[in-house]
Amino acid sequence: MYHEITLTINGEGYTLAVQSHHTLLKVLREQLGITSPKMGCGNGECGACTILMNGLAVNSCQVLAPEADGATIETVEGLSKDGKLHPLQQAFIDHNAVQCGFCTPGMLMSARALLDRTPHPTEDEIRYALVGNLCRCTGYTRIVEAIQDVAGQSDS
Amino acid sequence: MNLEFTLNGASVSLPDIPEDMLLVDLLRSTLGLTGTKRGCETGTCGVCSVLVEGKLTKSCRTPVARVAGRTVTTIEGIHAPDGGLSDLQQAFLECGAVQCGYCTPGMIVAAEALLRANLNPTRDEIRRAISPNLCRCTGYQQIVDAVELTAKRRMGESANQRISEFQNPQSTIHNLKYVGNPKLQNVDGPDKVSGRIKYVGDMRVAGMLHAKVLRSPLPHARIVKLDAGPALAVPGVKAVITHADFVDHGNFGWPVKDNYVLAYGKVRYVGDAIAAVAAETEAAAQAGIDAIVLDLDPLPVVSDMTHALDPDAPIIPDKPSTLTAGGFGEGNLCDRHIVRNGDPAPILEACPVVLDEVYTFPHQEHAYLETEGVLAIPEPDGGVTLYANNQSPFINRDTSAAVLGLPADLVRVILPPVGGAFGGKDDTVYQTTAQAAKLALVAGKPVRLVLSRAESMAASYKRQASQIRLILGAEADGALQAAKAEMLMDSGAYASMTPLASWRATMHAAGAYRYRAVHVDTTSVYTNNGFSGAFRGFGNVQAAAAVEMAIDELAYRLGRDPLDFRLQNCLREGDRTMTGDPIDHEVGLTACLERVREASEWDRKRAAYAQQPADTVRRKGLGVACYFHGSGLGGEGHDFAVSTLAVDPDDGITLTSGLTDYGQGSRTVFSLLAAEILGVDMQRIRMLRPDTHTAVDSGPTVASRASIVGGNAVRVAAEKLLQQLTFAAADALHCTPEQLVRAGENFVGPDEEPLTFEAVTAHARAMGLPLSVEGKWEIRPIHWDFEKGTGEPYLCYVFGALVAEVEVTMRTGKIAVAGLWAAHDAGRILYPAGALGQLYGGVVQGLGYGLTEHFRYENGIPQTLELNTYRIPRATDAPDIDATYIQTTLREGPFGAKNLAEPVMVGAAPAIANAVFQATGQRVRSLPVSLKPVPSSH
Ligand code: FES
Ligand code: FES
Ligand code: FES
Ligand code: FES
Repeated sequence: MYHEITLTINGEGYTLAVQSHHTLLKVLREQLGITSPKMGCGNGECGACTILMNGLAVNSCQVLAPEADGATIETVEGLSKDGKLHPLQQAFIDHNAVQCGFCTPGMLMSARALLDRTPHPTEDEIRYALVGNLCRCTGYTRIVEAIQDVAGQSDS
Repeated sequence: MNLEFTLNGASVSLPDIPEDMLLVDLLRSTLGLTGTKRGCETGTCGVCSVLVEGKLTKSCRTPVARVAGRTVTTIEGIHAPDGGLSDLQQAFLECGAVQCGYCTPGMIVAAEALLRANLNPTRDEIRRAISPNLCRCTGYQQIVDAVELTAKRRMGESANQRISEFQNPQSTIHNLKYVGNPKLQNVDGPDKVSGRIKYVGDMRVAGMLHAKVLRSPLPHARIVKLDAGPALAVPGVKAVITHADFVDHGNFGWPVKDNYVLAYGKVRYVGDAIAAVAAETEAAAQAGIDAIVLDLDPLPVVSDMTHALDPDAPIIPDKPSTLTAGGFGEGNLCDRHIVRNGDPAPILEACPVVLDEVYTFPHQEHAYLETEGVLAIPEPDGGVTLYANNQSPFINRDTSAAVLGLPADLVRVILPPVGGAFGGKDDTVYQTTAQAAKLALVAGKPVRLVLSRAESMAASYKRQASQIRLILGAEADGALQAAKAEMLMDSGAYASMTPLASWRATMHAAGAYRYRAVHVDTTSVYTNNGFSGAFRGFGNVQAAAAVEMAIDELAYRLGRDPLDFRLQNCLREGDRTMTGDPIDHEVGLTACLERVREASEWDRKRAAYAQQPADTVRRKGLGVACYFHGSGLGGEGHDFAVSTLAVDPDDGITLTSGLTDYGQGSRTVFSLLAAEILGVDMQRIRMLRPDTHTAVDSGPTVASRASIVGGNAVRVAAEKLLQQLTFAAADALHCTPEQLVRAGENFVGPDEEPLTFEAVTAHARAMGLPLSVEGKWEIRPIHWDFEKGTGEPYLCYVFGALVAEVEVTMRTGKIAVAGLWAAHDAGRILYPAGALGQLYGGVVQGLGYGLTEHFRYENGIPQTLELNTYRIPRATDAPDIDATYIQTTLREGPFGAKNLAEPVMVGAAPAIANAVFQATGQRVRSLPVSLKPVPSSH
């Protein structure tokens, strides 16, 4: 069965016919070609599919598309503005926080949600904010440093 | 509506389907069953064929409401019980009935419908049954073979493929497993007969946008106002582009840089692209196009090429053609070429018989069943990946990179399977590619742009309409003495390949005969007709048609049999061609003429038809034509190719070539050459599709050059690899390389201990030998002096002859072709089923050129923009063709092969025209043949 839903994605309005059993992740990736949210497990375990929905970091693989009707969605595609990287993206690069890069979009969105909520988190708070995001490459240290760096910048 | 029906044996139930949706769209877009194709908008081509309740049905003409509750079978539902290929699909492969494959699913569906109703059809019944479906490649004959073979087998006869018709005196080369093997099948065949293969229009990626192009409705106009902005206000529109979005306004073109990706300043023909829009749906894209504000100020039009150089003709190009800078003219002059071989004037003056006539030829449309298409995917690095159905991916890449202002490595062109090209998928596809690429980069989303049939017919380039004056002189005994030719060719709005095609026409203007002196003067001009460019035969189609009609008339004036007259004067080894070029290789022309004379029963029939009573209602006639055709690019450019071979870890062998396969079978030819030289099973060879990121630039795939140049590059690579393998085998077997012999794939040493291919590669790896090689081959330098009109234009020549039999209904002027006998000398034949397919297909394209194909412009306005008004031959328009390859050997060719894809097309039209003369006494000097109906006397 199809539902008509409206979404605001990275500032742009969409009206879409979506199937009841399709997840928001599937709609973003396969219907709209927005592929930064990744499919890592489909079970809410890995966080590779993390996006912001009404400002909250959520696993888009755990949201049915019709449930998202009316929501405001943000993905990594909306982070950089006018060809300029978002400070978090730049910090991830500067700190070598990216290896294979598969977890990176989810990490960025979780970090974004954290900083929106808590502009000056402690290291523990940062690590806690990332519990839902697995990374198999970096050992997390560099990711935490990158986020600390951005938090520090906004400090000064 | 809620649609329920049975599809390929399974019941489907689909909610919310609009009742007026077409079945083809439901199948392709909603259900992703892309084996059913789209080829036209008028229900003319049949590539969309499916079975509804077992009945052959065009799904593009069937609203879905009509199949509610019924059974539908598509190509995806046709297979053997175990899911493999059905007997019919298998027979298509065995008979070589598949070339580009675009018509194939529809053909198989049509044939299946016939065989379910009639298990013992005649060949005529088969032709009638498949006649709703067009094929532009095969000439239908091998398709008929395949259906007949399947019918026989289903009746329990143990039938074999009809390849026996192929005269194959190849037994002289021993020990060859693949070269010349009549059982060889097209390497892409299984994916094509099953409908699984994906052409550009079958590909879709998530978030893909659809593009449409705004095209000029006028043949010549200044663009006074172009405001694309309003398109962006249309819901769903994501990008709109004009010339201003490209570097240097998108100016491109070679050898003359006179074209634009999107028109700049003015439009020069109906169909000239002006702006392009990408949107979420096709309808939104069209609405975007409609919203663009365009104001055109009409300019005077020149459509008749004979007036293009008049002093008061409106000037079409922005600046004079760069080719004509050397003291030649300006204005609408595109290019000039000459041949200066001796001085024919005094010789002609002394000739007792001189013919001086003018011949005219129409524009011809390629009419590949798959229209131009591109899928452009923007990449995160700012580059773009392009699936484009073109012939020359490297030129496409370089053109796109230049107009997009990107370095070449950020533009990647990947060649999908191509649904026919025949020379027609270069410039127009470059434009389409650059448009789609820019839209994708602007929108940041994938964009697919596939032209509609009418759009393709209007926008794409054509074969040059031409006017040729020939003066031929002969002695009373029939010996040809001298020739003069004046050619005028219509390049249309842009130059494209006309400068090169008109050069080739010039090199062939006096035909395959011996002369004491020849002068040719060729002029090509700009007009406001659609532009002209490359098309199979490339200038020689017009040249050969003119000279073969003229030679026929000259023979008649001398009271000579036209075939004898040709035999007396035609080229033999050691002769000089009309340009003065000595031929130092074997010439099979007399053998070709003798062969068609015998096969067609020329002498008996010519005599009989000469005796037909004056009031015969259906009059018969026999006509002949012969031809030569220079091989390769010749003086047209740098002629080389590169190929790579690498043994993979699993001992498969990956082969690349920069030359493409658009249905003509070069993937099969390259694979078999590699397997033959390496002495391995052909299954091991994995030929990659050209991809500018992995293959090595090999120049354009044109001019039938794939076999000689591309084939030799494969040969060089294979020989290098074999050297490594032999070295490793000798080391492992403790002998010298010379002591090794091969037994199948095995290497055998003096102790008769066989070493498998796997053991040899393992040993080679252990020795650290590289099992990856590159082969390059280049034609030895040849030189043509364009200023003086002298030199050596080509490496070698191919030859052929063709006899046509026609039956003319005098009252109506209707011409039926009752028989065709073709013999062609293409050197050694590498891939027989493919070579035959090229010949049948080429001859039938020539038949269309002779009888029905006339792309008409009236004051620059195209009159035939659909397949129902531009008529290409159907299965019932062509007879079975008796085809022979006369096999000679070319020293430089791989295994002695020459080329064949193009020249096979040139003989048919003039042979038919000459046959019409015998039948009716009406001399034909313009194509397509159109007869004055003779009112019946009763
Ligand atoms: S894919 Fe959503 S949490 Fe793993
Ligand atoms: S960088 Fe590889 S999973 Fe995190
Ligand atoms: S697409 Fe249906 S007949 Fe051409
Ligand atoms: S094989 Fe039939 S159209 Fe190409």
